[in-house]
Amino acid sequence: MPKRPLSLSVLHIMLALAGGAKHGYAIKQDVEARTDGGIRLGPGTLYEAIQRLEEGGLIAEASGRTDPGNGQEAQRRYYKLTDRGWNILRTEIRQLGLVVDQARLHARLRKGLA
Amino acid sequence: VRLFRLLLLAYPPRFRHRYRRDLESAFEQTRREPRHAGAGGRVRFWGFIVRDLAAAAARLWLRQISSRGHPSLPTQPSRNEMDTIIQDVSYALRQFVRRPGFAAVGILSLGLAIGANSLIYGLVQGFVLHPFPYPDPDRLVAVGVGFPRLSNDRRYVEVLSPAEYADIKSLRSFGPAAAFDLGNRNISGGDVPERVFTALLLDDLFPVIGMAPQLGRGFTHEELVSGGAPVAIISNRLWHTRFGGDSGIVGRSVRIGGQSTTVVGVMPPGLILIGTDLWLPWGENTDAVPRNRRQFTVVARLRPGASIAAANSELATLAGRTDQSHRGQFKEYEGWSLTAAPWAAALLEDMRPAAFLMLGAVGLVLLIACANLAHLFLARSTTRQRELAVRLALGAGRWRIARHVLTETVLLALAGGVAGVVLAAAGIRGATSLLPAQLQMLDLHAAIDTRVLLWSLGLAVATGVLVGMVPAFQATRTDPHESLKIDGRGGLGRGGARLRNALVVAEVALSVALLLGAGLLMRTFINIQRVDPGFEPRGVLTMRLTLPRDRYAGEAGNVFFDALLERLAALPQVRAASASLQYPPMAAFDIQVKVERSESANEAAIPSALITVTTPRYFEALRVPMRSGRSFSATDSLNAPLVAIVNQAFVERFLGGGEPIGRRIALGSPDRPRPWTTIVGVAADHRNAGATRSVRPEVYTPVRQQTDWNQLFLMVRSDGNAAALLTSVRDAIESLDPEQPVYLVRTLEAAVAESSFQQSMAALLLSIFAAVALALAAIGIFGVLSYSVSARTQEIGVRIAVGAEPRHVRWLVVRQVLLLTGVGLAIGAGLVLAGGRVLTGLLFGVEVADPATLVTAGAVLGTVALAAAWLPALRATRIDPIRALRME
Repeated sequence: MPKRPLSLSVLHIMLALAGGAKHGYAIKQDVEARTDGGIRLGPGTLYEAIQRLEEGGLIAEASGRTDPGNGQEAQRRYYKLTDRGWNILRTEIRQLGLVVDQARLHARLRKGLA
Repeated sequence: VRLFRLLLLAYPPRFRHRYRRDLESAFEQTRREPRHAGAGGRVRFWGFIVRDLAAAAARLWLRQISSRGHPSLPTQPSRNEMDTIIQDVSYALRQFVRRPGFAAVGILSLGLAIGANSLIYGLVQGFVLHPFPYPDPDRLVAVGVGFPRLSNDRRYVEVLSPAEYADIKSLRSFGPAAAFDLGNRNISGGDVPERVFTALLLDDLFPVIGMAPQLGRGFTHEELVSGGAPVAIISNRLWHTRFGGDSGIVGRSVRIGGQSTTVVGVMPPGLILIGTDLWLPWGENTDAVPRNRRQFTVVARLRPGASIAAANSELATLAGRTDQSHRGQFKEYEGWSLTAAPWAAALLEDMRPAAFLMLGAVGLVLLIACANLAHLFLARSTTRQRELAVRLALGAGRWRIARHVLTETVLLALAGGVAGVVLAAAGIRGATSLLPAQLQMLDLHAAIDTRVLLWSLGLAVATGVLVGMVPAFQATRTDPHESLKIDGRGGLGRGGARLRNALVVAEVALSVALLLGAGLLMRTFINIQRVDPGFEPRGVLTMRLTLPRDRYAGEAGNVFFDALLERLAALPQVRAASASLQYPPMAAFDIQVKVERSESANEAAIPSALITVTTPRYFEALRVPMRSGRSFSATDSLNAPLVAIVNQAFVERFLGGGEPIGRRIALGSPDRPRPWTTIVGVAADHRNAGATRSVRPEVYTPVRQQTDWNQLFLMVRSDGNAAALLTSVRDAIESLDPEQPVYLVRTLEAAVAESSFQQSMAALLLSIFAAVALALAAIGIFGVLSYSVSARTQEIGVRIAVGAEPRHVRWLVVRQVLLLTGVGLAIGAGLVLAGGRVLTGLLFGVEVADPATLVTAGAVLGTVALAAAWLPALRATRIDPIRALRME
């Protein structure tokens, strides 16, 4: 289990994969869309995070391609969450939820939250 | 894409290989995004890519380095290192801006301490460690010699004969080698004749030191062997001062020592060889020179791959061989030794102890400044305790918080370092001018160069880390529960108090070490001043004259000096004037002595004494009384029987204390005819080997009984100010020979003072350092006590409330001071006693474990500590118990 919270960008990458196996650029687009452009992953940052997640056993290459394509697309690797990845993501989200719940109790913080 | 592929090289290979295609495709697709269209878009795009690349590459490399191949979990701080550092730095800068006074105090105190370090290092480096501009200076060695049968000294300058040099240069460890004889030559022509410090060379010096003329050429082989055409190479300085930097000088003929000589080269600026300005081939046939005419200095470059140790073992073998083959003829070879040492060490060896002592002492000052600053930071971090606790509670890493503090202190120290270097650069010229003429004559110079800058940078970083370590450590130990639970008034608790006390103890100990060092050196200095030299240095002006051989051959030199001394003696303000080979405290020459009807040949050591060749009124000029017999007189001339005067030490050592007058001695090496010389007088002992050494046996012979001496020192004694004599002495010389320059003009008093320069300089500097250390320690003690009084306000309030009297309260504070100072004193004294070896060589008439110095240092320190404690103690007694209790 991770000792420290996952970083925001890593969380977003994992969230993107929670919606199904994706290749690198698709992850970037997904994250960008969900954060309204708040998090823009460059190629280096993206694959650096992917490498870490892969080495940590949180994601793995998807064996079958679910995204049909041709040419360049065919050479790309697709990633999906592993069981371990799912578990960690769940725990993490639960903890974040707790933080948010606690934060709602403070009047000054409530304003910023929906 | 090509460019992007190139950029990919910035990533670690493993990562690059695995994701190359994906990276390229992501790059390609990002580029096609609508927002990256157009010229502005392209700029934005590349900016984005480069930023992304830098961040990711930095993180990947760091991870690779820190994990050493172990894959890491995605749990590390997600922000990349660069961002973190930038964040830390900007955080630190914000702290500085928020508390400019705090930052200013820090930068100023570190600036002073680091500046002092840079300055001393600059001096040590310029004068002791790397004084010469030669390439690869550590491979340039001098060959020194020790003759245990003659003396205990090992000397490197003017100690070997041509035959010995020929043996040495054939050794396998040495590459190019050269030998030189130092002397002075007149360059004439132009307005005034000039004496120039000259090296006369056997073999070409310049390839050995690794330098080539800037103009013209070096010597050829034909010019260096005897009988070659007269040629000269001149220094850059001489070229400018004498020849106006005229580039047509090469090939021109000048008169040197009365001989027409062609200048073939001009050397680049800077020190070439012990301050010489003129280089000439030695020019005489070396075969005719006996083995014991030792006037050459031998330098050599180690052959590539050869070590000094290898050279030394070869030299030892050579010495043994020479001993075997030549001992019969030259007794001094018995047990003699040859050694190679780096040139700088050989020439300046005796300055090393003082130099390293100064470096150490100034380092201690920096340590004290560090302790003070650490204490300041500690005090500040206490006030930020809650902030830290909150951040810890929110999950900030302890290392991260420690890093904040470290970044801050390192930045502060770097700023201090910059300030220090500026201060050192401003001070180094002034400091150089404090050095004695004998060093300035070498034309060495100290400057803030790259080495000094690197040293200062290293010191600054080390200082920053050192200062930051304590508060950083403290910060990581902050317990968020504790700090948040209590009301925020609480300090650092027991651990913090201990740290503070430890800092004070350290400061006190270091100050004690410096105080003791300063005290011991001051006592040494006073002891040296108190030594009765046996002569009166005040009121004597000295200078050197060298008569050119071509115009003053045979007795002409003696006639000139006789006439000059007569004129000088006739001057109304002159009491006595004499000319001699040297004067104390200059190193006199050694000469072998044989006493008639003595068994000295069987002694282990060959009897030798110092020799001073002089004119009749030498003893009057020095105010050395005669113990018995007579002084020299005008009748002791070339044709009269040879006479000598000896000192009392000579009588005791060689004549067994018997009646000396009328005894006969032979002077010089046994391989040359040694006529018997009759002792006609005994002079009182005076310090002839320096104030700190015992009196050596000495023989005096009259200049007028020989014709060898054309280079003598004048000593003119006046009633009043010696320096004021100079004009009239010059006039007298000019009236005899308008072309005769004088040089090495000095008062005897200055010459004597310079002979103990190391001790006086060390005493002065250490006193300054000790004073600074004391001031810093006082500030430290004051800070710690003020803090502890305010932290104990409640406790003290309660005590006052239940009836403690002011003196009881005062005692609380004073007791703490005495405890800390006592412990510091003990540690500091222990340090000095343990490390006293460094000092011993510099001390005179006082032991490292000197009770008086120890007591004085303790008293000074105690007084300062109590003074620093006064205000906090006063404040403690004025605590209002009601208010103190209400704070609860």
